[in-house]
Amino acid sequence: MALVLHTYKGNKGAFKALVAAEYAGVKIEEAADFQMGVTNKSPEFLKMNPIGKVPVLETPEGAIFESNAIARYVSRKNGENSLNGSSLIEYAQIEQWIDFSSLEIDANMLKWFAPRLGYAPFSAPAEEAAISALKRGLEALNTHLASNTYLVGHSVTLADIVTICNLNLGFATVMTKKFTSAFPHVERYFWTMVNQPNFKKVLGDAKQTDAVPPVPTKKAAAQPAKPKEEPKKAVQLLHLLIRE
Amino acid sequence: MALVLHTYKGNKSADKALIAAEYVGVQIDVPSDFQMGVTNKTPEFLKMNPIGKVPVLETPEGSVFESNAIARYVSRLNGGENSLNGSSLIEYAQIEQWSDFASLEIYGNTLRWFGPRMGFMPYSAPAEEGTISALKRALDALNTHLASNTYLVGHSITLADIITVCNLNLGFATVMTKKFTSEFPHVERYFWTVINQPNFKKVVGEVKQTEAVPPVASKKAAQPAKPKEEPKKKEAPAAEAPKLAEEEEAPKPKAKNPLDLLPPSPMVLDDWKRLYSNTKSNFRGVAIKGFWDMYDPEGYSLWFCDYKYNDENMVSFVTLNKVGGFLQRMDLARKYSFGKMLICGSEGPFKVTGLWLFRGPEIPKFIMDEVYDMELYEWTKVDISDEAQKERVSQMIEDAEPFEGEALLDAKCFK
Repeated sequence: MALVLHTYKGNKGAFKALVAAEYAGVKIEEAADFQMGVTNKSPEFLKMNPIGKVPVLETPEGAIFESNAIARYVSRKNGENSLNGSSLIEYAQIEQWIDFSSLEIDANMLKWFAPRLGYAPFSAPAEEAAISALKRGLEALNTHLASNTYLVGHSVTLADIVTICNLNLGFATVMTKKFTSAFPHVERYFWTMVNQPNFKKVLGDAKQTDAVPPVPTKKAAAQPAKPKEEPKKAVQLLHLLIRE
Repeated sequence: MALVLHTYKGNKSADKALIAAEYVGVQIDVPSDFQMGVTNKTPEFLKMNPIGKVPVLETPEGSVFESNAIARYVSRLNGGENSLNGSSLIEYAQIEQWSDFASLEIYGNTLRWFGPRMGFMPYSAPAEEGTISALKRALDALNTHLASNTYLVGHSITLADIITVCNLNLGFATVMTKKFTSEFPHVERYFWTVINQPNFKKVVGEVKQTEAVPPVASKKAAQPAKPKEEPKKKEAPAAEAPKLAEEEEAPKPKAKNPLDLLPPSPMVLDDWKRLYSNTKSNFRGVAIKGFWDMYDPEGYSLWFCDYKYNDENMVSFVTLNKVGGFLQRMDLARKYSFGKMLICGSEGPFKVTGLWLFRGPEIPKFIMDEVYDMELYEWTKVDISDEAQKERVSQMIEDAEPFEGEALLDAKCFK
């Protein structure tokens, strides 16, 4: 039985595992006929992930949820490689950047993006705080990348894969050139990485948004608020738009 | 060189690494002279963690930030031969899945519920409703898993349990009452069993579940907003009820305040405060003139203060909350002081600068000891023989705008 990844197309969480698979030489099948909101509500799916979110990786030994955990599994599937560093401290620092990019970058970027698309209640002070926190995170990342080509060591590690996939969503949706120009080392890092063959194979042509989505009107804001699932639908649409 | 963990006392995220260390048999030093807001702003600290957050682990080979990453590192020390990381690739991956789940689904939502109520983040009822709903969804999923599993992965404690229980501990201590958690009985079973394991108890101590959700912070009670760093001891939320009344009387310490033992002064602080509050027009001619007429440089002293970390002040309401919190904590000194805090600038970074009048020739020691914000400011005594400094005092009392060329975002008065 192969490894099967259950996800909707264009899910940045899924991209992490798929890019890691390219580096680790692991084969992953994407589940055919996956329908967001349907497949992930079935009892079979909930046995794999009781919270019913995506992506989920089905393996012969059991199922795994949480995109970073899936990427970690995939990176180790074929034994030793450079994705996880070559010492205990390198491994720990890879983990630190993985968590940092999820909590400081991705989480704040979503708090900016999701309300503007109506997936969470919009509030100007909350957005101001989220953007400020995002800038603080990017500032710290920028400082580190001023003197480091990769996040850890001298080649791509899992930290880069996770961080770039997170940044990719931000670049595509809310972070305009004007915004990211304050973080030139992050820009350098981002564009170099997304153009590596293993990234390009999975992400396609990365594009940066020209504008921040407008604040929703009251009618648009009255959509059901399922922050972690449905912004991805919007991203899916956005990605389709970008590819066209 | 031992392993050194930089953190403030009581940081539930730091507990993760310390508990892992108990299981692995590794020693970690936690320096007691760590000062939140000071130590983590130094260049040396920022070299270890450019975002300046805690906890950070210093090792002979380099430093590690992010509490889960630190815990993972610790769990692999001493040869890594232990059961914390599972015994197969799939077990390892499932440990990682629950660790991430605990951080994103449980801790993240707990913080978004707790933080705004404490004034660390903006409060909004619809946002809180969404957050509580997301937290319940997560606890429900966890509850389902724990109905048929004693531990998260395998048959003994793993890193997933350490991370998850430490994250749950924040919720149990601050916002999740028994009534709330009773919907998730398997989570309750799991939490109480694990937190009472010897290696947990050694680090975490006695754990009490909160009896009530903290009330929504009013604007005046809001404390400095650094969500991931500052939600601290569990006594803090319950104990600090907002003290909004202007006519507050003397601070509680029944012991004689040394300031009461100073030789009597012709200046009566309350007279000044009344003059300040009641002057509605010609403020400069009546109140400011009156101030300098009544000012007694023997019995009182004037001080300028400047916030040391203005570069942090990027968000308007966060900056205002920070100053508001400072004035809240000055409440114990109300009988002996008068202050004006100016927040300057039309956009971030905002400059916070203040003017204080204290009884006595020095900044009272009990204020320096009790009010931790004091060390976040540079204090300089005003030389009233210098006309420029005297004029600055006057301008700060009257909320002159522009102040030193800048617009005033706000001027807060402590009286």
